[in-house]
Amino acid sequence: MDVSTKCLLQRLIRRIPSHMLKTTLDQWSRLTAAQIQSVDFTESKRTLTEKLLAICEENECSVSQIAELEMIHMIENPNVGMWYAFQLLEPQDDACTLELIQFKEQFKSHLHQLLRSVSIKIKRHTDDAVWIRIAWGDGISRPNHLKPTYVVHYLQTSYVFVTSVTSKLKPLLSQALVLSTKHHGIKDANLSGRNLMAIRDLLMNQYQQVFPSKYPSLLAEENQTVSNPRIEKEQAQMAADRHKMACEAFGDGTLPQLQSAVYKLETKFKDPTNKTMTDREGTFKCVVKFASTNILESLRHCASSGIASIPVAPLLSSVTLKARNRFVITDSDPGPSSQIHQAQNNLTTDS
Amino acid sequence: MSLLKPFSKLPGLNAASILLVESEEQFQQSVADALVMETSVTVNVILAKSLPLPMENDERRPRIDLVVFIINLISELSFQSAETSLKYLDPGYFLGKVCFMVTNARNASVPVERLDAVRRLAASLHCPLLFAEDQTPDGVASATERLLIILKVAAGLVPITTALYLSNLTKCTLPSDIDQPSFD
Repeated sequence: MDVSTKCLLQRLIRRIPSHMLKTTLDQWSRLTAAQIQSVDFTESKRTLTEKLLAICEENECSVSQIAELEMIHMIENPNVGMWYAFQLLEPQDDACTLELIQFKEQFKSHLHQLLRSVSIKIKRHTDDAVWIRIAWGDGISRPNHLKPTYVVHYLQTSYVFVTSVTSKLKPLLSQALVLSTKHHGIKDANLSGRNLMAIRDLLMNQYQQVFPSKYPSLLAEENQTVSNPRIEKEQAQMAADRHKMACEAFGDGTLPQLQSAVYKLETKFKDPTNKTMTDREGTFKCVVKFASTNILESLRHCASSGIASIPVAPLLSSVTLKARNRFVITDSDPGPSSQIHQAQNNLTTDS
Repeated sequence: MSLLKPFSKLPGLNAASILLVESEEQFQQSVADALVMETSVTVNVILAKSLPLPMENDERRPRIDLVVFIINLISELSFQSAETSLKYLDPGYFLGKVCFMVTNARNASVPVERLDAVRRLAASLHCPLLFAEDQTPDGVASATERLLIILKVAAGLVPITTALYLSNLTKCTLPSDIDQPSFD
């Protein structure tokens, strides 16, 4: 095992938390049962790292096998780093019958055609997600395994989730994805977050949605929290209405965990009391960012407690309705109206 | 304008009704639960987010003896909501039947101007200003005790004392150096 491989393995073992180390190594199944037994997983990380390094040297683990271990760990623990969502456009007729083997072959061959030195690993997870790990290299150098890109795609849907990839290599990845999934284009879905399952649930509408209904259900005695008859809540009906409208805009129960909502304004500054700013030429550029551990819960609470006005403003409810958290707002004309204008990142191919 | 009137209904026997107005609707629930535990008097508690109260419930509502505005100093919205609700009270209430209760006064992020503004408001209306701690059960219990004392007087259940007499003693006064800049 050469130095870079050792370095990779060391970093990896340090990253995996001790309590998950044994299960991940078992899943990797490159070490014999005796070897795993010989390691005491309650020791300090440093001793563990040394022991495992020694064992892997014995087994002569290759870079490819270590990359596999990293992938196993990533699949178990995907909420590290930012995930960006993309949407595939214009499927061809046979896109909906795409199978895993076909996709694998096509993707590998397309990417190898575009860039000679890449290292690709594809794995199918139990919930039908296809995980792809790509280590990029230049024309000359070997693939860099320290900064891989992970791609998650659900076959036969049009959504792709990608971790960080440099802007130089993004077009190559997009091209390979588009060709191997039999679509004609790919665009940025403007949705990003730390939690992969959360952005997936938001895009694929797998959270508890509430639909407006004129006649509420007959079994309306869910929360009988006011136990004492001498306590009277005067505006209980208004509070219930507000809560219902907030849930209609954002969803009920636990909501997918997004970390921020960013609004980029490119409008004209309008304030009758501030003449100097209003008279300035050109657009006024401003970025408004809402951040929270769970931004959708925060927005829903704002709406149901009356801090945000009801009915919920379209700028806020678009986060769930359009499943995106980056918006660009421009003026349609020099007049007082303004509208939401989507910044699209289209990449089309000719096939 | 639907004003809340203090003497337009008959009182109940050995009963007192209190209205807690709070924009956040948090502290009022714990105070209400503690208030109804009182045994010597039957306490009816009405909770609202802001005034005016809905007209539909006017018939069923008992005569309200004391109106308490709970203001959370951390949020400007809380103070503004209380200020706008004041317009919906009949002037008769301001003779000792209104009280201001303030929470989170010790919080470092509260601007000094807000507490001063609440003080000025309470002083201009001749109402008492109480400070409460809302996070612990002890804080809730002591706030409830103080409210009960004022409530019993406002409901006329304490002999020789009326709400107007009590408010003369307990009303908020402005310290003479309120217009001086503070130390930080």
